Amino acid sequence: MAELLAPELLLWLIPALPFAAFVVIAIFTFRSRKLSHSIALVGAGFSFTASMLVILKALQVPELAKNPIASQIKWFPTGDSWFLLGVQIDPLTVVTLAFVAVTILMIFIYSVGYHNFGAPEGRNDIAGLPPKGAEVSHEGHTHRVPSVEPMYARFFALISLFAFAMYLLVVSDNLLGLYIGWEIMGLCSYLLIGFWYGRESARKAAIKAFITTRIGDVFMLLGLAALYALTGTLNYQQILSNQIVLNTLVTSASPIGGLSWAGLIGLLLFAGTIGKSAQFPLHVWLPDAMEGPTPVSAMIHAATMVSAGVYLVARFFPLISAGWTPGQPLTTPMLVMAAVGAFTAIFAATIAATQNDIKRVLAYSTISQLGYMVAALGIGAYSAAVFHLFTHAFFKALLFLGSGSVIHGMEHGAMHTGDEIDTQNMRNMGGLGKKMPLTFATFLAGGLALSGFPLITAGFWSKDAILSGAFTQSTIVFITLALAALLTAFYTARQITLVFLGNARSKAAGDAVESRPAMTIPLAILAVFAIAAGWIGIPKSFPLLGRMSSDWFAEFTGSMLSFKAVEGHSMIPLITSLTVALGGLLLGWLVYRRVKQAEAVDPMEKALGGGFRIIQKKYLVDEFYDLIFIRPSLWFADVFVAKWMDQVVIDGIINGIGRLGLFVGSALRNGFDAPVINGAADGIASGTRGAGGLLRKLQTGRVQQYLAGAVGGLVVLVIVLYSIFK
Amino acid sequence: MIPLSWYLILAAVVMFIGLYGVLTRKNLIGALMGIELMLNSVNINLVAFWRYLHAGKPEMDGLVFVAMVFVVAAAETAVGLALIISAYRRRKSVDANDMDLLKG
Amino acid sequence: MEFFSNHILTWILFFPVFGAAILCLVPARSEKGLRVTALIASLVPFALTVYLWFAYQVSPQAPGFAFQEQLEWFPAIHSSYHVGVDGISIVLLLLTTLLTPLALLASRSIHVHLKTFLMLFLFLETGMMGVFVSLDLLIFFVFWEIGLIPMYFLINQWGGEKRNYASLKFILFTMGGSLGLLLAIQMIGAVTGTFDLLTLFKTWPGISQASLFGLPTQTVKAIAFWAFVIAFAIKAPIWPVHTWLPDAHTEAPTGGSMILAGVLLKLGAYGFIRLVLPLFPAESRQYAVWLAVLAAASIIFGAFAAAGQKDFKRLVAYSSINHMGFVILGIAVAAWAGGSTDPALQQSAIIATNGAVLQMFTHGLSAAGMFFLVGVIYDQAHTRVLERFGGLYAILPVYGSILIFMSMASLGLPGLGGFVSEFMVVRGAWPVFTAITAVSMLGLFFTGVYVLKALKLVLQGPLNTEWKGHLKDISAGEIAVIAPLMILSFLIGVWPSWIMQIINQTVMSWF
Repeated sequence: MAELLAPELLLWLIPALPFAAFVVIAIFTFRSRKLSHSIALVGAGFSFTASMLVILKALQVPELAKNPIASQIKWFPTGDSWFLLGVQIDPLTVVTLAFVAVTILMIFIYSVGYHNFGAPEGRNDIAGLPPKGAEVSHEGHTHRVPSVEPMYARFFALISLFAFAMYLLVVSDNLLGLYIGWEIMGLCSYLLIGFWYGRESARKAAIKAFITTRIGDVFMLLGLAALYALTGTLNYQQILSNQIVLNTLVTSASPIGGLSWAGLIGLLLFAGTIGKSAQFPLHVWLPDAMEGPTPVSAMIHAATMVSAGVYLVARFFPLISAGWTPGQPLTTPMLVMAAVGAFTAIFAATIAATQNDIKRVLAYSTISQLGYMVAALGIGAYSAAVFHLFTHAFFKALLFLGSGSVIHGMEHGAMHTGDEIDTQNMRNMGGLGKKMPLTFATFLAGGLALSGFPLITAGFWSKDAILSGAFTQSTIVFITLALAALLTAFYTARQITLVFLGNARSKAAGDAVESRPAMTIPLAILAVFAIAAGWIGIPKSFPLLGRMSSDWFAEFTGSMLSFKAVEGHSMIPLITSLTVALGGLLLGWLVYRRVKQAEAVDPMEKALGGGFRIIQKKYLVDEFYDLIFIRPSLWFADVFVAKWMDQVVIDGIINGIGRLGLFVGSALRNGFDAPVINGAADGIASGTRGAGGLLRKLQTGRVQQYLAGAVGGLVVLVIVLYSIFK
Repeated sequence: MIPLSWYLILAAVVMFIGLYGVLTRKNLIGALMGIELMLNSVNINLVAFWRYLHAGKPEMDGLVFVAMVFVVAAAETAVGLALIISAYRRRKSVDANDMDLLKG
Repeated sequence: MEFFSNHILTWILFFPVFGAAILCLVPARSEKGLRVTALIASLVPFALTVYLWFAYQVSPQAPGFAFQEQLEWFPAIHSSYHVGVDGISIVLLLLTTLLTPLALLASRSIHVHLKTFLMLFLFLETGMMGVFVSLDLLIFFVFWEIGLIPMYFLINQWGGEKRNYASLKFILFTMGGSLGLLLAIQMIGAVTGTFDLLTLFKTWPGISQASLFGLPTQTVKAIAFWAFVIAFAIKAPIWPVHTWLPDAHTEAPTGGSMILAGVLLKLGAYGFIRLVLPLFPAESRQYAVWLAVLAAASIIFGAFAAAGQKDFKRLVAYSSINHMGFVILGIAVAAWAGGSTDPALQQSAIIATNGAVLQMFTHGLSAAGMFFLVGVIYDQAHTRVLERFGGLYAILPVYGSILIFMSMASLGLPGLGGFVSEFMVVRGAWPVFTAITAVSMLGLFFTGVYVLKALKLVLQGPLNTEWKGHLKDISAGEIAVIAPLMILSFLIGVWPSWIMQIINQTVMSWF
């Protein structure tokens, strides 16, 4: 029994069980809804339990960062040596595994309710499209209720595979294992975004997600190859904890001018993060990814998968920051990260403030928050970034699940009243706080955490840590992030006001009902985390509260670095973060509580006019990409390579050779073969034929004539012989 | 003793009678009889030469040849007659001039 | 038993011919009898190869050539029937014997002249296996040609609409290569007086004095080198001599396409590894960069061209060019590193060559699987135009899932075979041809584009109601064909060392 609970074995089993669940559901139990979701839940539940056990074990290990719990197998031979694939748990893994395990389990439970398990099957529902609802008779009159998802089992198979990939990514002890999980997650996100593949928009969004992230992935693969070629390993411990390796990478120059190998590899890996964590300029896929089944895949694109990108750069922070100490000028990759992250944070926040779709607001908010973390890493605030990654996962998961609950309530209302409206448009909502009190309470907790409501929410502590770090390192980044925080609080207040406060602006909203316990219980659990998860990281320098805190989090994650990460101890960032959070919330509430009609012009549109509409259209980035990249490359593929180069040029040359051959051949035939060789041959043939025609006359068929001929011939022969030999 | 030339002349006469029969008779049976005559003229020659060269000696080759020719002649007649009968059954004729299927 | 185990390669090699002879005796109207006989005739070599696979691992000769057999064949010109396997040929032998029965099973829609079809297929198998096991240049050439002719007839007799054009193009291209191949083999034979590869490996690279027809040795060597390179480049195929491939693959019957993409393309790459690299190390090193450039061109243009196709099968055909580019890139690294003593370079070369060989195997699996799946839908829908499908996932859930699986294997998704090999090639090529590898990533990216384009147009989107009620989901028999390919691809992706160990052992002994 003790061996079964050995953390090394459990580490292997954490990803293995969800994978087994995927295989079993996909091959055997896909016909049974109940069996399928039971298996998926058992898999996720096991992984959760195992994760918690492993984390408990790991926390008891002194100096975990230097002595991670690890286990490896031989994966493929490379000449004399082997490539080893393994699992390990160190402080960063502990933190990531903790939020991944909790959120994944919550999603699994929530999904049972979201896909209406136990509801009747809709008569018009077909695979590939969202369920349209079913008619039920109740006490004499029929009414429409939500129906169960036709591809229920497939959904659970896919999210099990997704969980497998995420767990694998987290527990892996090397970059290749991470990349494997990374790519499988890409596939899962493709399949889940395109879950309702029958919809044109879903199919487009799925492909967009896969292709856009793949741009980052191929750069990342190059980074992998470079790192492997230079160091001979991809193991974290051997690269990142080894100062000699890091120094070699920093001092050796890469082929790109002025950049060390460490810098180049850092940039290549960060390209992967840009794709996966939807940073500018590859952010375009994430909002469209909201085409997936409402909260669940959306939430995957908020709490777990996009966190993988930040996890990657956090993991490779020692490499990215190699040669840098706090206070010094940033390394190239750090500079790029700070710039990209800060720009993304404010860029996405402005868009989020203009969206009307409840999920899209959250999608852009996710991009913005991820930009926050990337920027924090860029300026060296390592622990703060990881802290924000940790808290963000909880409250963003909560917000997405909450929005799913809202949409569910709206759909219920829309079906009940026959109101044909967009159930995701916040303008059609309003007053839902009274109809869905549990959802409202939990959403409020998440929203406050997102906007960094002081002291009581997790988001405040992590955001404050980032702002203080930025304040000491770079003023520009600090101002940008502070502005983004203001916008964050503003759009959160806008969202909460439009959705939950005021009066219902549509019939559906007036008839919305609270969701089932399978959905609200995960919300409640996540709400607890959204509030409390921040308390493990209260800085010591914080007035009053700091004295009670041990600042455990910063110390724990900080042990991953060889130097002390950037931390701020100043009152200015604290006051700033208090101001922007409260100010933004108040402003948002004040502006949007006046919206009374679904058709009313947005108050900001009144103020900003055309600028607002451009922001609402996401700064036309999609249109720009379509014009600059997509159309030309499609033209290049279709017209240039396939049609012109292959069929005109190369085949043209081949056909030219063929025609030349034909020409030579026909010249030979008409000039030499036909008159000379054929002439001779034909002459011989016709001569033979004529001679034969003469000779055939001799063949009379009469025996006696032949015999007479023979006798005559004999006589002639005798005469001849006699005259010769006489 | 009759000189050898007499036998030879007799044989030549029989041979030419036979040859004439073979070449001129329209009836195939007649032609066949002509062939028999030609074969027998050869026999006469063989016996005559044997008598003059080997009489009283142990060599019997001339007689053996003659016996062989008899056998061949008998076989030939048998096959020839069978063919003629077969041809007659098909064409109701034993005329040699009618049988020119191999005409070129 | 002794006789059997001493001649196991010959048994494997000629059993299909034996089976073809038996096939003559089976009445032509008994379709089932014909199919079963042919299937058995191709399954026996497979079983023997599996036995060989395990026997090879414990064989004492490793990493040299094991299971060698030598018989006098043409003593007047010192050519002998000499066969043997090493870690690379045994992998390809396994691929051949695995794919042939599957291709036969995939040919259920063939009814016309079935007997001839099956016999040609069995001859084809012998030809392909012969190339992989021969250790004599002349025997190599003979088997090379044996593999060519049945394929011509398979395309020409059982192919699609433009089969005449495609089969002619195929045979002219490959014959063009074969001419040079024969010339080069004759030159080597004339100079050294032997065709035996084991002898040539030792002597030919070092020859510097002999001359032929008054030509200096360097010229002789250069002519032989280029003749080899062109022949194998056409077969592999390498851009720009690849245009026979999309036509031939598209017009061939399903089983033929499976073999064509699965095995025949590997003959070219195998030729590079088996003949060009060991026989011409100096020339290989000199032109390695150019080979790498052409490999990158294959990767990039193959992917772009695939993305531009409208015909499902043509798209898959172009993907083969894209994937074979990685094999060639790995070979280019090996060519560059030949004779080097730098341990880091050697390490890269070993990894790249390992990757190239593994890529041959995994591409064999995924390409054969993709062609089969195209065939499954074509048999029912009688069209391959992508635009005419759409939303089929709703009516073909099992087929759709398998198609996604196979597409991902082809795309090189981690966890499936293609990833391991592509990663190894990229890893090996990066330190040697940094810029070329970086540029070829463009091809890797567009692999995703064309794979998703196919999935999008076939499976996703609104259901094209034209097909509702007209298409049946994949049958159990068809699953039996695709399942082994999926399982193997998955096995390699999850735990590659079972196959890599065999390859690695041989590759290591070269550097």
